[in-house]
Amino acid sequence: MSSTKRQSPLAALVGSFSEAWAEVRIHRTRVLLSLIGVAVAVAAITSVVGLGAIVEQSVQESNESNGGRPATIGVSAYTQNGASFDAALLRTTLNSAVDRYKIRYHTSILSGQLSVQFVAGAALVNTTAIDVDYGVMHRVKIKEGSWFAEKDINRLAPALVVNRPFWALMGSPDLRTHPTVRILGSHPITAVIVGVRAVRDGDMPNMMMLMDAFRVAAEPASYAGQSQFEAWVPPPLAKRVTARLSAELAASVPSGVDVQVNRQDYAAFGADPIGPVRIAVGAVAALVLFLGALGLVNISLVTVRQRIREIGIRRSFGATAGRVFFAVMMESVVATAAAGVVGVGVAVAVVENPWVQEKLSRGVTDLPSFPIGAALFGLAAATLVGALAGLLPAIAAVRFKVIDAIRY
Amino acid sequence: MSLLRLDEVTRSVRLPDDETLEILKGVTLDVEIGDHVSIVGRSGSGKSTLLNLLGLLDAPTSGSIWFDDRLTSELSGNARDRARARGADIGFIFQQFNLLGGRTALENVMTPMLYASGRQFWRRRQFATEMLERVGLGGRLNSMPEKLSGGEQQRVAIARALIRRPRLILADEPTGALDIETGASIMAILDDVAEVSGAALITITHDVNVAALARRHYRLDRGVLAPIDVSRVLSAAPEVGL
Repeated sequence: MSSTKRQSPLAALVGSFSEAWAEVRIHRTRVLLSLIGVAVAVAAITSVVGLGAIVEQSVQESNESNGGRPATIGVSAYTQNGASFDAALLRTTLNSAVDRYKIRYHTSILSGQLSVQFVAGAALVNTTAIDVDYGVMHRVKIKEGSWFAEKDINRLAPALVVNRPFWALMGSPDLRTHPTVRILGSHPITAVIVGVRAVRDGDMPNMMMLMDAFRVAAEPASYAGQSQFEAWVPPPLAKRVTARLSAELAASVPSGVDVQVNRQDYAAFGADPIGPVRIAVGAVAALVLFLGALGLVNISLVTVRQRIREIGIRRSFGATAGRVFFAVMMESVVATAAAGVVGVGVAVAVVENPWVQEKLSRGVTDLPSFPIGAALFGLAAATLVGALAGLLPAIAAVRFKVIDAIRY
Repeated sequence: MSLLRLDEVTRSVRLPDDETLEILKGVTLDVEIGDHVSIVGRSGSGKSTLLNLLGLLDAPTSGSIWFDDRLTSELSGNARDRARARGADIGFIFQQFNLLGGRTALENVMTPMLYASGRQFWRRRQFATEMLERVGLGGRLNSMPEKLSGGEQQRVAIARALIRRPRLILADEPTGALDIETGASIMAILDDVAEVSGAALITITHDVNVAALARRHYRLDRGVLAPIDVSRVLSAAPEVGL
């Protein structure tokens, strides 16, 4: 043979691009149809994953609002016969443990009912007494005003964070005017509303106040049998801290008092509460991608006859099977990757749309940014679909004998 | 000097009922540089199978094929080498022209250069333009195949087959889709360009008039290749079957 000189890699690459570009230009209608199908599929799958992240965050925040963030360790002490006990020893041991284990966020919790004077008359209001850290630990969302601050502990007029019905009973006053309510009882006090919670928790008014203020306002007998405490610790340490606290507290309380120490956040309950959401989102995404791929493969199969003949002609001119494979695959992959970029762009526009976020997030405090993983997944999926769709005509063309392909 | 030599070449295929069908039987052929050989035969005589073997598109069942004094079976295990040899040394001209749709005449002629190396690759536009001018289509460079007449399309196909200066041109029914006058003109161009480039030309046809333009003539009948005296065939035509 006179010349079986191998083509340089640069020439092969330029040649392949040239072939792929010519194909895209010539079959622009088919390519455009393919691109639309893929772009829609990628936009759908990326949007579903992106919106799924918001829904996941919403579910997670809802769970954290109830049980605290992972890992929240709950401590409760009680007597078997329901008698009251002095919780001072327990509190001392807890404070010591908080210092020793460098637990940054912790809160005591008491609950009771306090009589509040509204314009329409006095009413008993469910009240939760907490420490300032409770807001962070339970992701308390505030609609108006703010959550308690450390300086609120020293207020002469205790601060209150109320729910929406409470605020509505007061005529929804502007919190910048420092609206006050009178808390009745044996030691009546005036309290200032500093915040309104965002959560919609029914029609009944309720309020939260700091622990010291609650002890002043409430009758001691009303909370004497209660002793609840929560600590937020890093999840890897939760098991060890729980065991230590359990042992230390059991030793510190008087006989007849039982102490329970256990994790109470959603992540402690084995099953992933977000799992079903994740599975549903994944299933929808897979279905959407499958439909997109089906459309692309369908178009590829329709054009296979034309491609086989053309590739047969190219091979008669000296195109190696590898070169033909590469060119056909690249044409498909480049086109679908471009469609993927368009699809991801559409998905970003959808997921970042304020109206969509408003509808899905329902007061999520830490709104997740657009998940890069979803964008990369969309692009990878588009490329993979392009490769698979390009594979069919490429394999068929390479497997045909050249003369048979030309006469196909 | 021998360019292509077939020595007792056979090609058979196994049928679904496990029987063996022998398509080519002991074919022997010697083609020299600058030679012009025609092979005539009816449909089903084995012309396409022979074309596959001559074009290094297929390997014989037995016998040997020498190209440029090198046994092609040495390449048979390496499809990539055969493809490269095919691109560099062999030019194909098809009955149905087989121009690539949606591409201009110039782009069609440039296509084989996409698999070339060095100057041939990087200056493919210039070479393709020159080649189209040689076949009289300098004014139709940017015409699409469907805007060209049958004769013009076949001239584009000839320019495409010769662009890489092959040493062997295989023409499969090159005038099959053309009228007699255009066919004669195409054969004249093909013969002329092949002669100028020094390439050997093998024309496979069922038309004895086209076959007669070659210097040596063969007939393929039921897989057996034998020389024929084409003048006798022509004098007895058109009744004489091939």
